[in-house]
Amino acid sequence: MTGHDHAQDPADALTALEAAGFGVHALTEEQHTVLRSLTGPELALLIDIKGRLDDVGPEVQAHSDLAGGALF
Amino acid sequence: MTGQSASTGLRGRLALAAPTLDRAARALWTADRPDHLRERYRRYLTAMHALITASVPLLERAADRCARLPDASAPLLADYFLRHAQEERGHDDWLLEDLAAAGGSPEAARAAVPPPLVVELAGAQYYRIEHRHPVALLGYIAVLEGNAPGPRLAERLAADTGLPAAAFRTLREHAALDTGHLDDLHQLLDALPLTAQQQLETSVCALHTADTLTRLFLHLAAGQGGRP
Repeated sequence: MTGHDHAQDPADALTALEAAGFGVHALTEEQHTVLRSLTGPELALLIDIKGRLDDVGPEVQAHSDLAGGALF
Repeated sequence: MTGQSASTGLRGRLALAAPTLDRAARALWTADRPDHLRERYRRYLTAMHALITASVPLLERAADRCARLPDASAPLLADYFLRHAQEERGHDDWLLEDLAAAGGSPEAARAAVPPPLVVELAGAQYYRIEHRHPVALLGYIAVLEGNAPGPRLAERLAADTGLPAAAFRTLREHAALDTGHLDDLHQLLDALPLTAQQQLETSVCALHTADTLTRLFLHLAAGQGGRP
């Protein structure tokens, strides 16, 4: 997004994601383009979400059928 | 967003949230004993009943708000919300029928105070519809329908819990329905003449929803047979 008060410097957004543990370097250029447009509030939420992995604990071996569960 | 379609921008953002949400879902569905998983499944049905009780009213409120907005995207949005409300009507009753088949009490589920995370999930949408813009509700729907039950989840849980197939109608039906719904939502996002601010409202709503849903799955997974 552009022209918004919360817009990030594009390079800063990728750097902040990398610092939070996202494997940004492994993403495609199209994905980089999306992430360069991240705003401050979006970045803060993504970093919060990444931090939830600490609450999940170590990954257990789970059957691949055990996926999803959200309902609208 | 910078030259991307609205749906590409939203999907690209949610892709970063997906690994955490996927792990939370696996934690939800993995218990150390069948009786613990049965109890957890009943708690899940009760929480989801509380959540999707709000779905149709949210769609109707969003459509009503669109009708009061002098906004280029409002007519298309209102039409989408009203159509979707028709498709979702009655699904909360399915959950109560599933709960009864799973050995739970529909009456107790109706009376239960909803988990605060459920109130946060649905309640935030009322705020956004009334005080921001109803387009944000698309972000909420994108996350919930984008993380619908997997196609084999119902069958797997029936095997793991020993509960009858009748206890899993909602999971089966939503696994089939929600893929098509998500495609419709992405097409709508790309057809709407959204401003950058409206795209941001939608995206922040989606990421907030992904975070809160992750916390709800972890909350439901905690306790009996789960990890805190």
